[in-house]
Amino acid sequence: MAVPGLAGSSGGRRQPFLHLSENRIAYLLVLPTLLILIGLAVYPLGWTVATAFRSDNLFNPLAARWVGPRNFEFLFFNDDTFWKTLRLAGIWCAITVPVQLILGLFLAMLLDTTMRGIGILRTLIVIPVFITPVALGLSWRAMFEPIGGLLNYLLQGVGLEKSLWHTHPDTALLSVMIVDIWQWTPFVTLILLAGMQGISPEVVEAARLDRVRGLTYLRRIVLPLIWPVVTVVLLLRLVDEIRIFDVILIITRGGPGSSTLLASMNIYSIFHAGRLGVMAAYGVLMVIAINIVVISFLRVLHRQEKATRQKVSA
Amino acid sequence: MRTPLRRFLDVGAVVVVAVYLAPLYWIAMTSVKPTNVINAPKPQFAFDPTLEHYHTTFERFDFAQAILNSAIIVIVSTIITMFLALISAYALARMKMRGADGMSLLILSLRFMPGVVIALPYFLMAQWTGLTDSHLGMIIVYVAYGLPFAVWLLRGFLLDLPREVEEAARLDGLGWFSIIWRIMLPMATSGIAVTAVFTFVFAWNEFLFALYLTSYKAVTIPVQIAKMIDLYNVLWGPLSAAVVIQLVPMLIVVFLIQRHMIRGLALGAVK
Repeated sequence: MAVPGLAGSSGGRRQPFLHLSENRIAYLLVLPTLLILIGLAVYPLGWTVATAFRSDNLFNPLAARWVGPRNFEFLFFNDDTFWKTLRLAGIWCAITVPVQLILGLFLAMLLDTTMRGIGILRTLIVIPVFITPVALGLSWRAMFEPIGGLLNYLLQGVGLEKSLWHTHPDTALLSVMIVDIWQWTPFVTLILLAGMQGISPEVVEAARLDRVRGLTYLRRIVLPLIWPVVTVVLLLRLVDEIRIFDVILIITRGGPGSSTLLASMNIYSIFHAGRLGVMAAYGVLMVIAINIVVISFLRVLHRQEKATRQKVSA
Repeated sequence: MRTPLRRFLDVGAVVVVAVYLAPLYWIAMTSVKPTNVINAPKPQFAFDPTLEHYHTTFERFDFAQAILNSAIIVIVSTIITMFLALISAYALARMKMRGADGMSLLILSLRFMPGVVIALPYFLMAQWTGLTDSHLGMIIVYVAYGLPFAVWLLRGFLLDLPREVEEAARLDGLGWFSIIWRIMLPMATSGIAVTAVFTFVFAWNEFLFALYLTSYKAVTIPVQIAKMIDLYNVLWGPLSAAVVIQLVPMLIVVFLIQRHMIRGLALGAVK
């Protein structure tokens, strides 16, 4: 421990120890974490914000100088790609997040049972979450292969047209979406299951006696009780989908053309084009967007908590 | 009470999980297929299994070194992360601390930082400190990467523990360290197990920072796997073998904490 002799301390909550109040000791305990996070999160972010207002060029660092909001102006007014990536991000989140939630809820309902061996089944279903996205992306790419790939073979088997999957601009986004949804739906299932296990047996029994079943049971009993959990999982997924990078890089590198150029991938390509200032400006906008999402969600969560408390006291 | 409908749904659950995991089965099969079967114009289901791709993975792609690097970096960073997160979470959840809620929120908000925004500064910082392509550099980065989520999860678990036990221990003259180590830890086992596993898994699978910060000596498994596609052609066999190899430690970990997972999450994360 950082403070020697702590083990010998005794006494009540407010009693000073080594001339340190409980408040100070608490700060000492949090200090290492804070220092690391300031050094490796706050400082790099500050660097990015500063770079966003400079004309940094990767290939000519000496020419770097303060240019005000010019990088942002470029993004807003002269860069078609910027608006395209925004639209793609919108489409991406609007499809992947709801699909994961609905599929995840469906799986959670199926697995919220007392059957023998259910523990193994629940463990098996979470495996996709634990696969390295890079490895997973490559494996799916093998299955997408237009010639000799498993998926086209299956499509033909049920009498459908072959698809070019990740190699065609029209289907590339959908292909990567499939991989992402497949990997993260079990995560939603896991968290929702945890929420469902928290519903008290009395409530379940009462619902059974009242013959509340199926969809009504889901809508009237389960969903209202696990709603805070749904909100948390929605927030986690939404932020991760905005930041999505690994599978995109591995499967399409943002292409073909710019058909899968989502935010993180775009930052990566601007970096490779050597335009540090523009890259940083885009990064700053991304951080702002994510924070707006996070703050609005925390507000909703806070309001929910209050509402629950009022209901309990009423 | 098990209604006929529920029994039908239970069978459905088994079928759905089996179908859902079919791609995994396919990957595992590909890793033991002879190369000519993999490259056949039509997917083949009958073949003589071979371990040649596993040999190739280790011999041509230096996978043993990547496994060793990943193991060192991820295990050490997980241990450090868990220690720091535990003492921080204890302070934030159980001690009288001014501004504890605000600070928890600040730490949590750093969990949502997009990696691409800070990867380049990391690269420059590693150059200044001479930590490029080193185990130590990657360990520091992964501690910072894992801390926000670990603190947040553990704080949730610790908030739920009863006050009385802790008060009694303090009246008995136990110090902070003994209270955390001998009283709180045993009570929060599920939560700690779940947090440690998530910290471990996220670091094990992390790709972006490793891509920016390693080149040869400290290359981790995900970067090594990504390197396998840049050579003239994608070799699906060795690649599938690599996927299986990286997944094995994950599977062991997941099955070890299977009992804790749902219960742990139900207690802490979702509160």
